[in-house]
Amino acid sequence: METMIVIENLNKHFKSGDAIFKVLKNINLQINAGECIVLKGVSGSGKTTLLSIMGGLDRPSSGKVLVEGESISKLPDLHISHFRARKIGMIFQHFNLFDHLTAAENVMIPLIPAGLDMNEVNHKVEASLKLANISHKAKSPAGRLSGGEKQRVAIARALASDPAIILCDEPTANLDRNNSLKFIDILSQLHEMGKTIVVATHDPLFDTLPFESRIIPMEDGSLVSTVSEDVLEQG
Amino acid sequence: MNEILLSNQVIVYLLSESILFGLLFIAFMITLGILVKWDFGSYSEQQFLLERRAYLTMTILLFVFVVKFLLLVYFVFAIDSLSILVPGAMCAAGVISANDYGMFLLFFKLLILFFLLLWMALNSYDLHAKNYPLFRLKSWLFIVIFFIISMELGLDFAYFINIDTLEPVNCCSTLYGQLEGANPLPFGLNTTILLILFYLLYVVVVGAMLSKQRILSIVATLLFVMIAYYSVVYFFGTYIYELPTHNCPFCMLQIEYYYVGYLVWGTLFGGVYLGIVSSIMEMGLKEERKKEQKAALILLSIFVLLCTAYVAVYYFRNGVFL
Amino acid sequence: MKNSPFIHFLMLEFFKERKKHIGVISISLVILFLLSSVLFISSSIRHSLNQTLAWEPDFVVQRIQGGQKVNAPTEWIDDLLEVHGISKITSRVYGRYFFKSKEKSFLIVGVDFMDEQSHKALRMMMDETDLKEFLKGNNMLVGEGVSSHLKAHFYPNGYTFLTPKGAFKKVQLFKVLPKKSNLISNDMIIVPIELAREILGMGEDEVSDIAFNVPNDDEWENVADKISAFYYDLRVVTKEDIKKAYENLYNYKGGIFLILFLIVIVTFVLILYQRYSMVYSSERRHIGLLRALGWSIRDVLKLKFFETMMIVLIAFVLGVALAYLYVFVLGAPLLAEIFLGGANLHNSVILVPVLDFGILSSIFLIYAIPFISAVLIPTWKIAVTDPKEAML
Repeated sequence: METMIVIENLNKHFKSGDAIFKVLKNINLQINAGECIVLKGVSGSGKTTLLSIMGGLDRPSSGKVLVEGESISKLPDLHISHFRARKIGMIFQHFNLFDHLTAAENVMIPLIPAGLDMNEVNHKVEASLKLANISHKAKSPAGRLSGGEKQRVAIARALASDPAIILCDEPTANLDRNNSLKFIDILSQLHEMGKTIVVATHDPLFDTLPFESRIIPMEDGSLVSTVSEDVLEQG
Repeated sequence: MNEILLSNQVIVYLLSESILFGLLFIAFMITLGILVKWDFGSYSEQQFLLERRAYLTMTILLFVFVVKFLLLVYFVFAIDSLSILVPGAMCAAGVISANDYGMFLLFFKLLILFFLLLWMALNSYDLHAKNYPLFRLKSWLFIVIFFIISMELGLDFAYFINIDTLEPVNCCSTLYGQLEGANPLPFGLNTTILLILFYLLYVVVVGAMLSKQRILSIVATLLFVMIAYYSVVYFFGTYIYELPTHNCPFCMLQIEYYYVGYLVWGTLFGGVYLGIVSSIMEMGLKEERKKEQKAALILLSIFVLLCTAYVAVYYFRNGVFL
Repeated sequence: MKNSPFIHFLMLEFFKERKKHIGVISISLVILFLLSSVLFISSSIRHSLNQTLAWEPDFVVQRIQGGQKVNAPTEWIDDLLEVHGISKITSRVYGRYFFKSKEKSFLIVGVDFMDEQSHKALRMMMDETDLKEFLKGNNMLVGEGVSSHLKAHFYPNGYTFLTPKGAFKKVQLFKVLPKKSNLISNDMIIVPIELAREILGMGEDEVSDIAFNVPNDDEWENVADKISAFYYDLRVVTKEDIKKAYENLYNYKGGIFLILFLIVIVTFVLILYQRYSMVYSSERRHIGLLRALGWSIRDVLKLKFFETMMIVLIAFVLGVALAYLYVFVLGAPLLAEIFLGGANLHNSVILVPVLDFGILSSIFLIYAIPFISAVLIPTWKIAVTDPKEAML
């Protein structure tokens, strides 16, 4: 199995006045293609930050991040944006849709920088909406959708450019149990499609996923255990 | 002097140049800061800040490039309309030569556009590379551009302030005319040789570009632009004016000739600039710049065709040459 | 169509922020309207004047004493006749006649109807007049301003002039000059030359000045030099001089206006900068989200740039169109007064539509360049938003 994501000696800290806050401490992690990883931890454990860095939304203070063999830790903006658009599908905790746009228009957004023509874009949008089971709401303004529907639009948007990696940040935090289960259903489908999935959550539902997954607990900026190396860190 | 400075076009022109200078000054300060502290490999917040600031410089320069181009056209147009106020001037030629600053100013403008185009090309390459390889080169080039533009601004004001509305100036027939048999062409060339060189150099330029002979293409292009200038003023222009003694690079910009001057000089300089820039880039970066090259060849060809067409049409209409 | 998903999204974004955009467009409209109107009026009048000048004689010879123009002797005409290359010599008799209140005046223009008219503009004005009838009695042709003024003072049919010699001269109002000549004829009264002499108290051997043409351009300098040498108190005024003087006057007025207008522009720029810098956190999240979804800084800049250009172009087109309507269809009530001096008699000139590249490009540059410069930095600031913002 090929490795999809490799993280080596990753550190992230930020300064606030004179104080330095270490958010991530010497993370080492390897994720294979098609795997599903669940980063478990309470808020403040650093899982969201780790996820952001994996998705190219944030940069490490030191260390390496390699995706499909290519380092993304220090890329110019044009390239990292390109990477985000093509390889990453992001699902946010608060859905983060544009309320004034329809579902279809929301899904279209990651596709715009690529310079495709309108037909191709529509094609991909339709396919994604179908996958996420939300085609029937394509023309509805996102602001008028229910929580569960919004989440599905967010999923469709994450799938629009057919990315290899799906990153989810607390995806079920704003959903009721029913919708959470529906979400996990869709995740299974994505897993079947061969997508690499990383979920950052503290929802216990993810402890028992209906498909093969690896749970990696995080605490205070460190991983509690990894696959290839057992490194125990003192906070 | 007052009347010139109070003319609408001059006010708008000087205001625009000043605003652009203000923006460039900001870009200059940013670039200085970046040059000192840039370290692409670093993960520090400061480096990210510098990278973001670099985008501001890029945006400013892109804006300045577009506007400088428009202002060049506007400048020529403004000068043309000032010819009423300057005694003896019938077209922009007279006004430009109203004082010593005029020709320098025009030359600087053309130079600036070239460098800006070069910067744009370098920047576009730089952005697509993964570690900003041309970053320092770009920044130093910008510093050079900034100094040239500062001088240009000074020249702008000096030029307009020193246009005398009382002293008559020479009009194009004196400036470009063949005074009492003296040959205005350099190196004692006559028209026939000039034309042979003109077409020959064009072929050489095209050939050199297509066959990737970069140094040859740069040299040939530079020679071509000089020969082309003289050819247009002393030969092709006469066919545009349909008057064998009318030698003027500026009159063809007027409405009587359907503003064809803008097309003639535009295609010439556009083609030359793009040609040289693409050759420099290819030499320095060892990779092909097909788009720029194609554009350059098209522009130069349009230029040559246009000039030839004026002669051909005249001949077909009148059965003789001038 | 180039990247139509982009354009589609651009429209959506533009519409979303429409309140802000409409605000900016409105202010722009006011500024553009004002500026364009002034420039249109100015260039229209200038154009009309230039056209009128085309009919002016090439040369006018005047007598100067003590720096002032005085009447010239008719003998000078004989001197002129001897100069080669001169044609259409006409002696002109004209002067100002001050109305009762001594504030308003009429320009009395005497025309020798037997002589060739080197002044074609006068000819144009008089073409539709039945000369035979006109010459039968003491008649005058008046400009529109004169006619309204006379009516207002209860002189509907004519006027009785008080000559400097103390005599009264009653003159009938024959016809009002056509409105299209108002620019120069507004306060004019055209009478036969003898009548003019009487009203102005000028003798048989005096004229106001002498006009003539020199058909050959190349001879102008020679002729001017030659004639200036005749008498020490003789001044030659060429058509070129007049043209230049008008040009300077218009440049002067226009220039002062523009410089004052700069204050407006500066205020506008400051307002814009402020407004665009006021970035609400919602907008930051908005852009942050775009960035998080894969939009590069360049893509966001492109979006913002197109948005800006749309505003600029919409405002420009609307502003100029409104100004055009105001000036050339409605006749620019109020503003036209400033340019027509309003000094003497009220003048209602027909403004001829003049629209050229020079004016339009000047208006565009003086609006677009400060505008874009003002919003450049705030736009960049928001385009470089960290994609992390989307996570917050």
